[in-house]
Amino acid sequence: MSHRHWILPVLALGLLLTSCKKEPPPAPEPEPVEQGPTGPDPDSLAAERARLDSIRAAEEARRRALEGARATLEEMVFFEFDQSRITPEAEAVLRRKVDVLRASPTVELRLAGHADERGSTEYNLALGSRRAESVRRFLAGFGLEADRFTTVSYGEEQPLVRRSDEEAWAQNRRVEFVITAGANEINPPRMSP
Amino acid sequence: MKRRTRRVRRRVVLRVMGAVALLTLWSFSGSSGQEVEERFPGVRLGLLYEGAFQPVLAIKPFSSRFGGEAAANQVEAIIARDLRYSDRFEIVDSLPASLVGEGVDYALWDQIGADWLVVGQVEGMGEEYRLILELHDVVYGELKGEARIPVPDPSSEEFRMAVHLASDALVFWITGEPGMAASRIAFSQRGADGAQELYLVDSDGETLRRITRHRGLLLSPSWSPDAARIAYSAMRGDSWRIYELNLETGAERVLPAVRSGDHYTPAYHPNGREIAFNVSGGGRSGLFTYNWMEECCLAQLAGGRSDDLSPTYSPDGRWLAFNSNRLGVATPQIYVMPSGGGEAELISPYVYGSGGHYNAPDWAPFGNRVAFHGRIRRGRYQILVAEIEDRGKRVVQLTSEGNNEDPSWAPDGRHLVFVGERSYGYGLFVVDAGSGRIRTLLSNVIARVPEWSPALGSPDAATLRGAQF
Repeated sequence: MSHRHWILPVLALGLLLTSCKKEPPPAPEPEPVEQGPTGPDPDSLAAERARLDSIRAAEEARRRALEGARATLEEMVFFEFDQSRITPEAEAVLRRKVDVLRASPTVELRLAGHADERGSTEYNLALGSRRAESVRRFLAGFGLEADRFTTVSYGEEQPLVRRSDEEAWAQNRRVEFVITAGANEINPPRMSP
Repeated sequence: MKRRTRRVRRRVVLRVMGAVALLTLWSFSGSSGQEVEERFPGVRLGLLYEGAFQPVLAIKPFSSRFGGEAAANQVEAIIARDLRYSDRFEIVDSLPASLVGEGVDYALWDQIGADWLVVGQVEGMGEEYRLILELHDVVYGELKGEARIPVPDPSSEEFRMAVHLASDALVFWITGEPGMAASRIAFSQRGADGAQELYLVDSDGETLRRITRHRGLLLSPSWSPDAARIAYSAMRGDSWRIYELNLETGAERVLPAVRSGDHYTPAYHPNGREIAFNVSGGGRSGLFTYNWMEECCLAQLAGGRSDDLSPTYSPDGRWLAFNSNRLGVATPQIYVMPSGGGEAELISPYVYGSGGHYNAPDWAPFGNRVAFHGRIRRGRYQILVAEIEDRGKRVVQLTSEGNNEDPSWAPDGRHLVFVGERSYGYGLFVVDAGSGRIRTLLSNVIARVPEWSPALGSPDAATLRGAQF
């Protein structure tokens, strides 16, 4: 497989050399544009505009769906104090991810577990690790291949909110998702009929 | 005869003060139940050595000759502060030079109330200096210890540590126990770029410096027994690995990954060859040991579904204390097991339903004491010490203000450094388990996992003589 690495540059070099030798190709003649004596037909013009609008709308819808799918993949999940159990709220988020992951088989994720500042620094590393692992198991439980997910723990070292109150702690007890492969091949979930 | 009586009196006073302090503590623990928000079950708020009698130690203003004036004041100031920080004496210093003449007049020092007298002279010796240090027993009127200690120029990096060695020699002559002035504390701190790096600071809070450039996360430093290397866990790329920094050469090596997952919390065996550490990942977590000197002999000691981490060896290497949540995910406890693996015994003050949460064990350099931090339910974190005895254990609580975490023993076996949170901010603090005194080591730093070094020099191995222990 490794010979591919040099074939492409050699081909490109060849093309460059041949194109240098040759005369530049003549500019193509402009296509004659057929136009009626009264100018464009307003009806067909409106139809064309509608067609383009619908394409644009479809593209926009697809773009939004893709953005939504990416946001779904990257949405964090949160945990209770000193727990790595998946909460019902987290389960709803993870189920949406499962749909996107099924439609996007090349996408791989890094699951980064975090803890709030309470508890020991070292214990929180293990806790973050357990949270990430808990998410991986949940996703694998839906038949997704477990090796699409790598896990890592940041312990309490990278809080989302730098404050010391219940609200901040709740935000900091989380798993974050980083797309590590297939970022250009995300598909929105297939709608069930 | 008078002197002997004085010596006997010293002992009697010690006993009486001990008894009084003990009674005070008992009555205190009996009546203060309502004031403390959450009590650790079966834990006494107090000290490890009740009613420690503090002898009076006087420091005669240091003299100098042959150009020693340039260093004498600094040497004296460092020694006086070290002796205060030792928390073993009542210090009398800053005496007017007119009060003290040539030689040592025991009657005069006896009148001042001194039990011990430190006499120092600093001599210039070309580029360097020499400290001639004497310790006098005022009660018996005799020279107790004498040493000639080479001291580099005050501008040298080695200057302060050389003087700290002199302070430890004095502590050793008086008590027969090691001091901790000649030691350093390693800890992790976040820099302006957001990365955590390893820092060192001397035992007196001076000479703070950064010693790594990882640009990632870095935690859990552990000193090798010869203090020449520090192991730690760091995340540079996608996972945590264990590194070892050679402090003499600056060379760094990484522990081979023993299995997939994050490698955390290294701790050296007292033999300096093996290390114990945790690997977490894939839903499994375990404690492993590896001979890093011969690069062999990986062994798994404990582990499974629960997290077994933060190992710490007993000084004889036969036991290992560690943190585990095997009783339940939200109730991590401290255990002790044979260092080759085996049945683990609970040593934190767990009582079913008490909601106790205990972490970060550190075994003292001598004696069967394990320090850790703990809290009850949503209370605050406090530093606790379990004394493991033949028949069970005794747990003492050393702190009561603010939050206090991640204790680590000094080489003198009586001081502990820890991360403290106070109303005015975070810092590193030092508590003396003998007197309960707490001092600030570094303030306004968000430091993590401090680890106190072994003694960086041996007081009796220097050019010391006269020590009768």
